[in-house]
Amino acid sequence: MSGPELRPGLELPELVKHPTTRQLVQYAGASGDFYEIHYDQEFARSAGLPGVVLHGLLKAAFLAQVVTSWAGERGRLTGLEVSYRGLDLPGRPLRCRGVVKAVEGERVELELWTEDPEGRRTTVGGATLELRGLGRDRPEEDEAWPPSSTT
Amino acid sequence: MSPEGAPPGVVERLRTRLGREGVESVHVVEAGHVRRFCEAIGDGDPRWREQAPPTFVVALGAETPELPEALEYGQGWLNGGDRFEYLEPVRVGDTIRVRSRLVDAYEKRGRSGDLLFLVFETEYVNQHGRVAVRVRGTRIRR
Repeated sequence: MSGPELRPGLELPELVKHPTTRQLVQYAGASGDFYEIHYDQEFARSAGLPGVVLHGLLKAAFLAQVVTSWAGERGRLTGLEVSYRGLDLPGRPLRCRGVVKAVEGERVELELWTEDPEGRRTTVGGATLELRGLGRDRPEEDEAWPPSSTT
Repeated sequence: MSPEGAPPGVVERLRTRLGREGVESVHVVEAGHVRRFCEAIGDGDPRWREQAPPTFVVALGAETPELPEALEYGQGWLNGGDRFEYLEPVRVGDTIRVRSRLVDAYEKRGRSGDLLFLVFETEYVNQHGRVAVRVRGTRIRR
């Protein structure tokens, strides 16, 4: 099996999330973040918001998943950084995307973002990965990415 | 400069608190907690049966230092951003000590009023005494 080369510009498979109010309650419970703007419509509106909004850290989790599901066991995540730029509401699909920015030896830098249905980047950030088992003795241009583990 | 009703000098007073630590807490990483967290974020990767997914540590519940002054500023909180640094994996069964401190406080003029930024650094130290994850979180009062 051959795949795309690991080089700047390579897009990671995107995840499209469909957050619901149920998911926000689940995340509140699992994370312990019980700030009411994430599950109490009245509270959220009185705080000047259009309604309940996604937790920033839930969007960070989505972006981390873009990276880990793409890299699998072949790369170790060493850093993840996110800035929350815009609000996202449940009931609206959220595209979670990433692209390779740089490859230096065994270090890979990624750009990550979430995109709302209007195409606005509501979360922006990046991640760094350390590759495992892709040493200099194996020329990178011959590597499909992610390397196939089934053939 | 500050939002209407914010008492003067809040930022200056907060800056005298830089370095202040919250109460340290100790947590065992429980399989059921990791599973519920993965269900909540919608990540079914089987790896997370043994290991915690990248943002799980925030669910361990860091106690940020008490900063009553911050509540005098603006009406509510917004999350500005988070930066995670991964040094060691966090696995189910690990015992993690969590300590959080205030590392920065500043004001910025926003489009819809002024904002107060508080930056907290939280370290998650495993049972071997090594920092497994370091998180720098920016929280905003507006």
